[in-house]
Amino acid sequence: MTDRHAPVIATVGGSAASKLQFGFLAATLFGLALVILAPYALDTYTMNVLTRSLLYAILALVLDLLWGYTGILSYGLSAFFAIGAYALGLASTHLGFTPLIAVAAFAAGLVIAALVAALTGWLAFGRGVTPLYVSVVTLALPIVVKQGLLSGGVFTGSSSGLSGFESFDLEIETWFRMGGIALVILTALCWIFVRSDAGRVLIAVRENELRCRYLGISTVRVKTWLMIVTAMIAAVAGYAYAAYTVVVAPELAGFEFGTEILIWVALGGRGTLLGPVIGALVIDLGSAYLGGSIPYVWKLVVGLAFVAVIVVMPRGFLPLFSSAWRWLAATVLRKPVAVAMDAGLRLVCAPAQETISAASGAPSVEIRQLSKRFGSLKVLEGIDFAASPGELVSLVGPNGAGKTTMMRCIADGAERSGGEITITGHDIARLPPERCVAFGLGRKFQTATIFDALSVADCLRIARTSHETPSFVHRETSLALPQAALDVITATGLDRMLGVEARQLSHGEKQALELAMVLALEPSVLLLDEPTAGLTKSERMLIGSILTRLVRDHALCVLLVEHDLDFVREISSRIVVLHQGRIVLDGTVDEVVGSALVRDIYAGGHA
Amino acid sequence: MTSQILDILTSAAILYVVAAGLLIVFGVMKIINFAHGGFLTMGGYCALATADLGLSPLFAIPISFLFGAVVGMVVERLIVRPLYSRPLDAILATWGLGIIIGQLITLIYDRGVHFVQSPISGAVDVMGESYSQYRLVMLVVAILFGVVLAAVLHGTRLGLMTRAVIMNEDLARGLGIDSGLVRFVTFSLGAGLASLAGTLITPLSSVDPSLGISWLVNAFMLVLVSGSSLVSLGIAAVVLGGAQVLISSYANPVYGSMAIVILAAVLLRVRPQGFAND
Amino acid sequence: MTMINRKAIGAAVLLASVSTSAFAAEPIKIGIPIGLSGANSVVAPSVVQSAELAVAEINAAGGVLGRPLALEVADDQSGAAGAQKAYDNLIFQKKVDALITMETSAARNAGLPIVAKGKTPFIYTSYYEGRSCSPYMYVDAWVPDQQVAPIVDLFVDEKKAKTFFLIGSDYAYGRGMLAFSKSYIEKKGGKVVGDEYNPMDASDWTAIISKVKAANPDALILSTAGGAPNVTLTKQYKAAGIKALVGNLGVDEGTAKSMGTDAEGVFLSASYVSSLDSPENKKFLAAMKAKFGDGLKTPNDLSVPQYEAIYLYKLAIEKAGSTKQEGVLKALGEVSFQGPRGLIKMDKQRHAALTMYLGQVQGDGSVKVLKSFKDVDPGAQCPNLK
Repeated sequence: MTDRHAPVIATVGGSAASKLQFGFLAATLFGLALVILAPYALDTYTMNVLTRSLLYAILALVLDLLWGYTGILSYGLSAFFAIGAYALGLASTHLGFTPLIAVAAFAAGLVIAALVAALTGWLAFGRGVTPLYVSVVTLALPIVVKQGLLSGGVFTGSSSGLSGFESFDLEIETWFRMGGIALVILTALCWIFVRSDAGRVLIAVRENELRCRYLGISTVRVKTWLMIVTAMIAAVAGYAYAAYTVVVAPELAGFEFGTEILIWVALGGRGTLLGPVIGALVIDLGSAYLGGSIPYVWKLVVGLAFVAVIVVMPRGFLPLFSSAWRWLAATVLRKPVAVAMDAGLRLVCAPAQETISAASGAPSVEIRQLSKRFGSLKVLEGIDFAASPGELVSLVGPNGAGKTTMMRCIADGAERSGGEITITGHDIARLPPERCVAFGLGRKFQTATIFDALSVADCLRIARTSHETPSFVHRETSLALPQAALDVITATGLDRMLGVEARQLSHGEKQALELAMVLALEPSVLLLDEPTAGLTKSERMLIGSILTRLVRDHALCVLLVEHDLDFVREISSRIVVLHQGRIVLDGTVDEVVGSALVRDIYAGGHA
Repeated sequence: MTSQILDILTSAAILYVVAAGLLIVFGVMKIINFAHGGFLTMGGYCALATADLGLSPLFAIPISFLFGAVVGMVVERLIVRPLYSRPLDAILATWGLGIIIGQLITLIYDRGVHFVQSPISGAVDVMGESYSQYRLVMLVVAILFGVVLAAVLHGTRLGLMTRAVIMNEDLARGLGIDSGLVRFVTFSLGAGLASLAGTLITPLSSVDPSLGISWLVNAFMLVLVSGSSLVSLGIAAVVLGGAQVLISSYANPVYGSMAIVILAAVLLRVRPQGFAND
Repeated sequence: MTMINRKAIGAAVLLASVSTSAFAAEPIKIGIPIGLSGANSVVAPSVVQSAELAVAEINAAGGVLGRPLALEVADDQSGAAGAQKAYDNLIFQKKVDALITMETSAARNAGLPIVAKGKTPFIYTSYYEGRSCSPYMYVDAWVPDQQVAPIVDLFVDEKKAKTFFLIGSDYAYGRGMLAFSKSYIEKKGGKVVGDEYNPMDASDWTAIISKVKAANPDALILSTAGGAPNVTLTKQYKAAGIKALVGNLGVDEGTAKSMGTDAEGVFLSASYVSSLDSPENKKFLAAMKAKFGDGLKTPNDLSVPQYEAIYLYKLAIEKAGSTKQEGVLKALGEVSFQGPRGLIKMDKQRHAALTMYLGQVQGDGSVKVLKSFKDVDPGAQCPNLK
């Protein structure tokens, strides 16, 4: 945990935070008052329609978490809604309605939804699958569920569904208020969640899944859990829908309905929470009032709006309104509007940790008979190699020698074709990157790989996820980083830019940020792929001195792929020369630099 | 036995014809065109319009292809082009376009089910079994589709450029290939083929605003398991279409109808590249 | 503006409203939740037209208990979700006195709980799979017990068919019709050699057709979802060269007509065929033609029961003496009306005995009536309701 007494390195923001919290509280209370008082003003019909719309809005809300925040495009939320709805419908129809059965049906709906979501997640987020594949699975799911309901004969009521079963006997006003309160509270909870440290992880997954995995975050687990939780919320909404309307029909499960939820979210504004909620309410209410008199035209208008929003303003309508409001407030009312800012943040130093390799005494990296083939093409063959703590080993060789491939094989168990690799004494077997990171590995990519949409501070905090379980409700006011990461940050001036969005950084700053993120993992083994590419001379010197200090003071083992031979000569303790997939030379700097073989290879390789 | 083999082959042929347009768009542009269903429906209505004009059904073939291609050009310019870098959004936008096409057709023609008289009907004898003549025609059509597309890809300059874009778009652009033009032509060709396929299946189906939707999901699954290869698509159509026929015959048609979707999902989980060989 | 002018305008407005509605009294509102979009949108306009004719005729003849009838139409999108909105709208917003409509079973089932909440009398005018019961609902259209017999009797008794193959869409109506058909065929001594269901929205019947060919039955009984599946199945079995007798439980006269030669020879059974030679039918057809002219949607087996149901409701109000629901609900089971289909009385457990007609589609798409069966009983539909 953070040491509160640690010296504060830097602070940012602060004043806007309390203002934001007050606004949030006021908005939540206003929402609650609205749904509690609305029944006095609404006629029965509108209330009836709105009660259903409120439940639909819950679907839009959780789809926004999935799609808007985490980037999982799901067509299948409708299937979970139907699971919850049919749980009550089937139980009440076939077993009768008692309090016990109502509770049991509720539990059954939740459990089934969770299991189906887990299965869907297992299918959809498997390794090596493309983002399109998520669409395939979530498209298949509602089709299968709907078909199952249709062919369920008398049991599921087939196409007619089930209706008129016994349910909770409540006044319509009560239903409306319950739905409204549930929606407001859920929206508030989501609002808190997405702004918490854990919520930032979702955005990080959306922005750069690979980076997340190399920061030790199991994105598969994050996405699967999110899938399960959203599925369960959808099932609860479905249960409430069935309890209120006493009707369940197979169309609830269909992917047409699933796509409709997507339309609400897209039109409202994905990644805004409030936008999707408003989108669902407005469009569903609109279809109730206008759909009857102009059914085809209404659907045509919704279709046109949907396409236009996706093409022209992918962020939806809400951001449009809020920026219009900001403009209005700024120009007409001449009143500055607080733009959401980072909460006050203190940067502190994390207490030094025993590195993993120092404890075990095993070599940092050990490779035996590593090979990698693409079809019949052998990229690496018969690589034997070991490196110990306190070594800085540079991998050199001409383009295509297999340097980057070798890095990739060390960092991801699924990459290699043959051979064995251990990291700090742990066999990486076929383990994914996040497990390799857990063994003490850190990897920096050739091109700076950071989270463009997040602030510098958030990028660094995400990197600490595996050390400090992020909070689901609030934002930590201090950020503890190991000394090495702090050194990089302060030396490059990033400590004065903690609140800046990462996409606005210069090329060199991005490289430094990524290095700091990787160092924040407190790795024992550091893989660096051309860390100085595109940097200025002074920046290069700086990185070099940080690296040598890490190796010297923290007994880190660094593997470096580098083209700049001067840089290599300056900082390496050992150099390994790769050529055509094999290690041709492994020795001290002097041995390698003086070797005629290396000159031949480079001369040949570059010819 | 004979009839079952014919069922498998002709079902695969129909799937092939229906999915071909989607495949070439996906192959070149890496975009799933969910308006494909709408284009299929459009093709059905082209057949209807041709019949209403009193023209021979043969005229429907060029008419629907050209109509589809022209609509495809407009759509590419207005909707698809801005979304090249956002493939998931492209799915959504084209799905929305499918809704728009469906509603426009409904406004023009109403929601009713229409009929187009089939130019070829009845059965012929194949090795002692009488079999639907038109399904056999579809077998020939599918082979023609494959041959013509292969000829275009391998025998023309545009085909060469297209193959270059499929393999490596950045490199192709570096070599001076106008990849924007290739995409434009590809999309309108894909739309034209979809519309043509819609016309070609009308003798086996009704013409109504949801004509294309039922084919869309299966075509989508087939294309994903085939990658960007016309040969893989052929294999996928035979394997998955065959599974559909066999499961429908030996288990029941409800399971059969889900066969393509489920098998494709499972296949892609086990082997993300599907039937493509890399 | 002067006072006088304002009065004059007021009088003119009043005059205009009187001359259009011709009544001072509050109208009796009839709600029609119906599939203006979705699967039923093909037939819905004809149903609305026949309802409009009935209301116009009744109002022209002085209304009901001195009050005019008025229609409130709402789109139910042919499905459950849309039906809920439509029923809510009609019952709670428009506060209709009764619902009289033709809908899908899904929409009806979704609406019934709302009908119960509003305690609104409801006449269902669509043929359906049977045995849907509610204390607020009456049905004046046919159920499987009435429709299947004429076709199967013909096939077994006259055409000497012994083996039957049943094909349907996998949904409540399709399964309900075929389950009844199967038991009826077996009761008649026929043999069912296969029954197969395709998903509701499927358009490919390949595997099923191959099974039919392998089984080589004497007759096919089809019960698919209306519209597309009906057409695709007909086209595809025709193309496969199947020569068996075909009885289609899901085809109506209008669909048969537009299917052209593909439907030639198909047998169907219905409670209404437009060529019926009764004075009531001729008068009805002439009135429809006069009222709607070129915009006329061909009257059919779904629109005619709607026309008759409005008259039955009128008679029930008159018998009960008010629109109060208890009285009307009781009276609906007692009144009878001589309509285009004959004498209709919903006194058989909320259903009606109907005269059924056996027809065959001709080469030009017209339906030729082969035989009629008088007052076919609906059987035990709702034994728990009187």
